[in-house]
Amino acid sequence: MSGLLVRPKAPLPEPADFAAVLSGPWTGVTAGELARRPVAVDRGNPVQLGELCEVTGEPDGSIRFAGDFRPAVRLGAGLSEGTVMVEGSVGDEVGLGMAGGSIEVRGHAGAGAGAAPPEARRGMTGGELVVHGSAAQGAGALMRRGLIAVGGSIGTHAGAGMIAGTVLALGAIGPAAGLWSKRGSIVALGEVTIPPTYRYTCTYQPIHLRLMLIRLKARYGFAVLGRHLSGSYRRYSGDLAELGKGEILAWTAE
Amino acid sequence: MNIRGVFIEETFAEAFTMRVARVLITARNIRWAREAALKLTGFATSVIGCKVEAGIERELPKAETPDGRPGISILVMTMGKDDLGKRLIERVGQTVLTCPTTACYDGLAGAPDRVGVGSALRFFGDGFQASKVIGGERFWRIPVMEGEFLVQEKFGMVKGVGGGNFLILARSADSALAAAEAAVDAIAGHPGVILPFPGGVVRSGSKVGARRIKTMIASTNDAFCPTLRAVTQSALPETVNSVLEIVINGTDADAVADAMRLGIDAACREGVVSISAGNYGGKLGPHHFHLRRIMSGTTA
Repeated sequence: MSGLLVRPKAPLPEPADFAAVLSGPWTGVTAGELARRPVAVDRGNPVQLGELCEVTGEPDGSIRFAGDFRPAVRLGAGLSEGTVMVEGSVGDEVGLGMAGGSIEVRGHAGAGAGAAPPEARRGMTGGELVVHGSAAQGAGALMRRGLIAVGGSIGTHAGAGMIAGTVLALGAIGPAAGLWSKRGSIVALGEVTIPPTYRYTCTYQPIHLRLMLIRLKARYGFAVLGRHLSGSYRRYSGDLAELGKGEILAWTAE
Repeated sequence: MNIRGVFIEETFAEAFTMRVARVLITARNIRWAREAALKLTGFATSVIGCKVEAGIERELPKAETPDGRPGISILVMTMGKDDLGKRLIERVGQTVLTCPTTACYDGLAGAPDRVGVGSALRFFGDGFQASKVIGGERFWRIPVMEGEFLVQEKFGMVKGVGGGNFLILARSADSALAAAEAAVDAIAGHPGVILPFPGGVVRSGSKVGARRIKTMIASTNDAFCPTLRAVTQSALPETVNSVLEIVINGTDADAVADAMRLGIDAACREGVVSISAGNYGGKLGPHHFHLRRIMSGTTA
C-alpha cells in the first residue's frame, strides 16, 4: 500500500498529544519531514514524532497509523486535507476541530471526537470522521460542518451545542445528544434518548440519509442494513431552548 | 451506398454546439420518476419555440442512482450557458419539486462548469430549508407537504451537440412511420443521446427563414414535402410519398454518430426508398455527420 505509514517503536507514553502532526498541509511532506513534527508528551514537552514512531512510505495524500494509538490524543486535530486511517483504536479528541479530509478509525475513539479545541467556539468545520467502533462522550460537540459517523455507540452529549453538520451512529447514542444545538442532525439508527427540549415532528423517510448511508457503506464499508435505507425515521426538532433548527432522526421499525 | 435496398444519400446532417445538463430523477418507484421526467421534458422539442430541448436518456436501475431508488436520466440542452440554469430552475422547480417522492441530482459529476439549481430552489423553503454536504456535494432539503424534497445544489454543464438528424424517405406514410418507430426503438436507451421530439420523430422538418414572411426564423422544409412536389424545387424521388425525420441531441459528437448509425440501420427496411439528412449547406453548424461515413463505420 502506498502513502505514509506511522508505527510506534515502543508503547506510546500516555497521553501523547499528536495535535501538531497533521495540522496544516501534510499531504505533500515526506516521511522524514513528517517525522520531525512535534508530539507533546510528559505534560507538554515536545519530542519529534520520529523519536516515538517509525515513519515510512511515500507521500500520496494518505497516511496510516498502525499499532496501538490508544494513548494518542488529538490525532488529526485541525486536519484540512488527505486521508487518515487509524488501524486500531485512538485516544481522546481525534479530529479535534478538523476542517477537511477524512479520518477513519477502525477501532474505538475516545472522548471529544471532532469536538472543539479549548476556548474555541466551533468544533469540526468540515470533512468526514468515521469510527467503526464506538466513540466516547462529546463526539461532535460544537461542530459547525462535516460528518461524524460511528459504527458502534456514542457516549453522552454527542453533538452538544452543534451549529450544523451530522453525527450518525449505527449503535446507541447516550443521553443529552444534541443538547443546546442550533442546527445540525443527530442520526440514531440504534437507541437514543430524546432530550426534553426536542419536540417530535413526524415520522418519514429522509432521502438525504439514503445518500449518506449508501456513501458510508460504499466508501468505508459501514454495516448499513437494508432496513436503515428503506425504514422510517422519527424526526425531533430542537434544541428548542436554542435556535431549534436542529434535528434528531431516530430510525423506527414502525 | 445501399443498405438492404435502401439508398443512403451522399449528404450530411448539420448540427450545433449546445450546453447540456444531465438531470437524474429518482422516486419511490419508477412510476413517479417517469411522471416527473415526462413533465420535465414536456414542451421541450426545439429551442426555436421552447427555449430548451430535453428528453429522457434512459431509465436507471437502483444500483445506478445516488439514493438507491429507481430513476430516470434526462438531458436538458440550450444554446447558451445562462439559459441552461434558468431553464433547469424553472423545470425542476415546477415538475420535480412538485412530484410525489422524487429527488433530483446532477448527472455530470465531473463537469467543471456548474450551474446553481438547488441553490435557487431552496428559497421555496421560506427559511425552513436545510442543507447537507455529502461526499463534498451540497444538497438542499426543502420541506414540502409530503415530507422533504431533496435537490442537489449545483448541476454540471458540458458542451454537447444538438441537431444530429436523418430523414426517412418512404413510399407511404405507413412505411415511413414504421421505419421511424424502428429507428427510435433502436436508439432508445443509448447513453448520451436524447430524441427531443414527440416519440423521437419529427414530421415537420424546417428550413431556415421563410420565403414570404421575413421575420420567421424557420418554416416548412418544402423541398421534402410530398404535397409540394409540383410547385417547389423538390428533393424527393418520384416514389416517395412521406418523409419523417429523427432528430438526435447528445453529450458529444460520437454519441450522436453512434445513435445515427443504429437508427439508420434500423430504418432501412421494406417501404423505405432512401435516407437523407438535413443541413444548411454546412455554413451554420460546426458538426457535420456524413451519412455514408457513419454507416461505413469510418468517421462522423
